[in-house]
Amino acid sequence: MLGLQPGSSTVVPTSAPVGHRFEPYDSNGGSIAAVCGKDFCIIASDTRQSTGYSIQTRYKPKVFRLNDKATLATNGFAADAEAMVSRIRQRLEWYRHSHGRSMPLHAIARMISTILYGKRFFPYYVYNILGGLDEEGKGAVYSFDPVGSYEREFCRAAGAAQSLIQPFLDNQIMFKNQHSTPEHTVPKPGEMSLPDVLKIVMDSFTSATERHIEVGDGLEMFVVRTPPSAQGEAIGAASVDLKAMGGVEAVGGEDEQEEGAVMVIRRELKKD
Amino acid sequence: MFLTRSEYDRGVNTFSPEGRLFQVEYALEAIKLGSTTVGISTKEGVVLGVEKRVQSSLLESSSIEKIMEIDRHLGAAMSGLTADARTMIEHARVTSQNHAFTYDEEIKVESATQAVCDLALRFGESTEDDEAMMSRPFGVALLIAGIDEKGPQLYHADPSGTFVRYDAKAIGSGSEGAQGELQDKYRKDMSLKEASILTLRVLKQVMEEKLDENNVQLATVVPRVAKDGRPSGQFAIMPVEELKKVIEEM
Repeated sequence: MLGLQPGSSTVVPTSAPVGHRFEPYDSNGGSIAAVCGKDFCIIASDTRQSTGYSIQTRYKPKVFRLNDKATLATNGFAADAEAMVSRIRQRLEWYRHSHGRSMPLHAIARMISTILYGKRFFPYYVYNILGGLDEEGKGAVYSFDPVGSYEREFCRAAGAAQSLIQPFLDNQIMFKNQHSTPEHTVPKPGEMSLPDVLKIVMDSFTSATERHIEVGDGLEMFVVRTPPSAQGEAIGAASVDLKAMGGVEAVGGEDEQEEGAVMVIRRELKKD
Repeated sequence: MFLTRSEYDRGVNTFSPEGRLFQVEYALEAIKLGSTTVGISTKEGVVLGVEKRVQSSLLESSSIEKIMEIDRHLGAAMSGLTADARTMIEHARVTSQNHAFTYDEEIKVESATQAVCDLALRFGESTEDDEAMMSRPFGVALLIAGIDEKGPQLYHADPSGTFVRYDAKAIGSGSEGAQGELQDKYRKDMSLKEASILTLRVLKQVMEEKLDENNVQLATVVPRVAKDGRPSGQFAIMPVEELKKVIEEM
């Protein structure tokens, strides 16, 4: 019966063998970026999660507060990212129990690298950007590839719109292709003020939303800084009133958080 | 204690009805037979000093190793069955290197000490999944000296797996007299040099032989800044020539 076409004398097969393949990965779109200044760090992401042309949700956070001095942005395969962040949070708690202090940023960076390389042959399909304050209170950004290569930088974009955001940051944060004139000297990277960097980050994402179908819906910008209360007189990033900009306390993480150390500012992005 | 021996001093993990682990208590006794070891912690760093019992004039005294480096910023001096200490120090070294590899930072003195003490309690019968196990408690105590972000520190770790932090501590055969002397002479504001001299004086008092550069060994941990900017230490065993000078100054 099968394979016999009506009106045809020859036998033609109509069904081919069906191959089944294990496909453990998906790509969930979205973009992340982080920029650091002298005494602060901004870690941002859009909140859209998609697969192909279909939007799974318009609000799925990709930035996670780890402790008062560290925040992690993840991008790539959302399930892997979630599993990895739980593992990192667990390790941070273990570390605090056995060494009596929160893990410093550079130690978190190395630990993430070893966790990623530990899965060298079945990797977490995640691009990570770690942002926060180093041991001296200076802003720091660490970026990773999915198998654990990492470096410290002033700024980094990753994800679907990396190719749109990174060149913009290279120009606006690293001052690449800008040349000093007698009237205007090009500033050094990493010395921009918190409000100025916030504006650049917001513009990065509104622009990426315009030109990339996988970016949009909402924007979350985490600000890590030495909390205003920890200093006598608020100076630098600590003196910026983030609450006036709609900033709220960021929650989650392994430590007893200090007020104002990590705040998040949310903005709407276009939803089309 | 030895008169009341019973079947409870056989199994290393069996409590006696009075709630004692005899083998652990005997291990603590083994330390009292060891050579005297002294450690002093000051604001300027930590000093470790050991007596080397040179039993024969034909013995090469430099081959007696009772102070060992664990990592660049911490070291340990031992008293008791010194062969057992090799296992403990090896464990501390591996733990320290693993910490540096995983976290890109130097391990804290307390964490390294905790690692050694975790090992000290792993004696007894083997479990199903792990066939190689230690048959008895360690017969050695360590004085672990180092500097980390919390400053100079000295810890005493013993076979019961207990560790305590001290400003100054003596262990081994002459420890009772030595500890009394430390109690009298220790000051919080001592310089490292004064601590080195006090260490030698204390050892001299409890040693049977006349103290010289061949039958004692000194080691120091002095402040250093780690590559991440945090306070750390530099461990060094004092070379014989330098030790000779300190002895002359004593």
